[in-house]
Amino acid sequence: MSDLASHTPADPALVAHLTAGIAEARAIYELLFPTQQLFFVLSQGNNPIWAAPEVIEGPHNPRPQDLGADYLGTLTRPGAYDGAPQVTIRLAIPRLPLPGEIKQIDAPWRPMRGLGALFRASPLWYEQVRYGAEMARKRQADRRTDQTAMPLGDGSALLPAPVAPDSDKRPAILIGMHWLEMGGAEKLGFDTMRWALAAGLRVFVVASVPAVQRLADKLPDHPDLTFIRLDRYLPHHLWPRYVQRLAMAENIRAVHIHHCTPLYESLTMLRMHLPWVQTIDSTHIVEYANGGYPRISGVWSNYLDMQHVISGELVRYFRDRFHAPAGKVVLGRMLDRKNNDALPPLRLQAGQKTLHACFIGRLFYQKRPVVVVEALRALNAWAGRNGVTLTATIVGEGPYDGTLTRLLRKHGLSSKVDLLPGNTDIPALLERSDILLLPSNNEGLALVCYEAVAHGCIPISTRVGSQDEVLPDGLLVPLAPRAAVAGTVAAVDAMWRDAGTLARHKDALQAAWTRLTADPTAEEVLMPVYCRLAQGDAA
Amino acid sequence: MSVLNKTAAVIVTFNRSGKLMAVLDALAAQTMRPDIVLVVDNASTDDTAALVQARADADPTIRHLRLPANVGGAGGFHAGIKAAYQMGAQYFWVSDDDAYPRPDALQSLHRALTGFQADNGWRPSFACSRVEWIDGSLCEMNCPRTVWDWARFVRPGSAWALVDSASFVSVMIPRWAVSEHGLPIADYFIWFDDAEYTRRIARSYPGIFVPESVVVHDTPDNRGVNFGLVDDKSLWKFKYGARNETSWRRREMGLMGVLAYAYGVRGQMRRGDVPSSLRRQIYGAIIKGLGFRPAIERV
Repeated sequence: MSDLASHTPADPALVAHLTAGIAEARAIYELLFPTQQLFFVLSQGNNPIWAAPEVIEGPHNPRPQDLGADYLGTLTRPGAYDGAPQVTIRLAIPRLPLPGEIKQIDAPWRPMRGLGALFRASPLWYEQVRYGAEMARKRQADRRTDQTAMPLGDGSALLPAPVAPDSDKRPAILIGMHWLEMGGAEKLGFDTMRWALAAGLRVFVVASVPAVQRLADKLPDHPDLTFIRLDRYLPHHLWPRYVQRLAMAENIRAVHIHHCTPLYESLTMLRMHLPWVQTIDSTHIVEYANGGYPRISGVWSNYLDMQHVISGELVRYFRDRFHAPAGKVVLGRMLDRKNNDALPPLRLQAGQKTLHACFIGRLFYQKRPVVVVEALRALNAWAGRNGVTLTATIVGEGPYDGTLTRLLRKHGLSSKVDLLPGNTDIPALLERSDILLLPSNNEGLALVCYEAVAHGCIPISTRVGSQDEVLPDGLLVPLAPRAAVAGTVAAVDAMWRDAGTLARHKDALQAAWTRLTADPTAEEVLMPVYCRLAQGDAA
Repeated sequence: MSVLNKTAAVIVTFNRSGKLMAVLDALAAQTMRPDIVLVVDNASTDDTAALVQARADADPTIRHLRLPANVGGAGGFHAGIKAAYQMGAQYFWVSDDDAYPRPDALQSLHRALTGFQADNGWRPSFACSRVEWIDGSLCEMNCPRTVWDWARFVRPGSAWALVDSASFVSVMIPRWAVSEHGLPIADYFIWFDDAEYTRRIARSYPGIFVPESVVVHDTPDNRGVNFGLVDDKSLWKFKYGARNETSWRRREMGLMGVLAYAYGVRGQMRRGDVPSSLRRQIYGAIIKGLGFRPAIERV
């Protein structure tokens, strides 16, 4: 008789994937529990990003759910001594992501339940209703959320303070990311990895949010950089203990937090047991819902040695709301000095007969892609009235992909608007665009506006975050969707009709550019810190 | 794709012990034998129970799931997949009691499911065999429905067309599809349960038609499903089919979908000169289907 199906050899690629996942998970738990006896109960997961880890400290009686249909088996790591405590770790090793999940893990966007008819009738009014609800939520959130910095005791000289042990390893830094996906915070995170490596630090990278981590293959290919998949394999409540172990084992001298919640939650552990570890964070946007990461940073500000921000708005936010001492909050723009050569002329001319508009950003709600389309629709009508030929390019991917395509078709804009993927050559696009639309729900200081100016393209943005640091009033439009659309058309019309207005805006952009470039860059404020750490000094 | 390959064959039977034994013979001769052969016995009144029990005594892979009453093919497949799921199977090979798989039929389906994902990244929601009638021609009633881009991954050596609907005659379903989409609808009793189920699981990703996996469907004649063929003898089945498909169309497409379906059925019956008394009963089943909304049971 032939073999049973269950004896069929598994696909080698799949076996390699599982083996690698098990090794990654083992390394994490063997560091976290160096002396304990570890039992790994492993199963095959049906989730591409999360291992659903469960950690049971102490004796554990196996339960039926430990031995389900997807059960792979167990592994044991003996304890360091007889009678070592037991720890049982249940893990469902994530499966390989499917092509659709690699492209886009979020489900296609749909209008909120009950508002589908409104969206079909008028996407802009739908956005307006949503905006109204958001503003109401913001007012409530402002009252509810904690807006004070937590106190931090300095301790007493009566008791000895912990002292950094000697280590034979070169100093290292732990860089905590939100995730390794496209975004401004992530771009800065990647930059800090490169700077830390250049300074001579060994770099450990973790991410807090389970995700496909599409940019993992863009991590610097350097022997001193290690990406540890805590996002997949370690529950958040164990992060502080893991960070402590890792810091001790790897001579970690600093932790740099880029929107990484569990690393904020590890700060208490660090301040109590490893006070020599320098704590730095970088924040970008005060978000409407509850303040977002700047608020979290503010609440933890006493636990942080340095709060790096990218805009003047955030400097004021920390100073005014959280009473941060002078010197702790450090402004470092996300700019590159290498690109600060002479500003090219801004392309738009009054009365020109063609207009190319572009939008660049992830197609998520934050960027309000529906408002982008409505603005293009209004601009198209304006162009028709004034004998201007409008064309546009939308660059980005996200859950709004399908909605955008349908809306453009519905408004008869399909032939005028190109939809391009996120890996498009952005400088080349900006160099052939007259205006950049950025009607975002919130922004810190959108780097894309700065890039647009650097390539001769005039940005028009909502008045959010620190956008007023890069754009003059005439190029800032209200946040309310209908007003944003009307304001965008009015801004374009004013520049197209009146050469004086256009010249004033160009001069103001030039002045803003000059002001911004006079500020220190993130690299300039962080690199010295990294260098001192690499030399073994306190930051 | 799974490193675990435990496979359960789910055969639903009713009073056809002779054909069932031939199916069990064919399964025993497979190049990749199922770990579990689950015979779902719809309360047969012939010698099915005794024969299956005798086989099970000699072959531990055979399980006899005797239902207390005849719940139709739909109820049988519902109960069988549910039981096999609880037994921990990763793949469910689902078939009728009169379809004899060629020796490599199951292995070909399994290879195609895993090979397709290894080659293309996507995981098919099911894999179905080429179903032949006893004379080697294509079995008319078991022709799967292709999707618009069915040829997307068809290549020499792996000519697996994408399909979104297949009958429960030699179809292999991976466990994840059952986990995500639930079980076939038992309340359908008979007809359209397989089409509804495969279309439902194909929402995740279409299934694949695997021509190298062949089964022989031993039906009395080789006829397709067409309302022009309704007669007194087959009326009861067509009524179930009309009710069930109406119910599904109402759920998935709304009233316009039902109207389009009713119009198509009317055309078939007119072309087939179906007597008006039978037509009225079919229309009655369609009207019944409008209010027939069976629940989908999750696992």
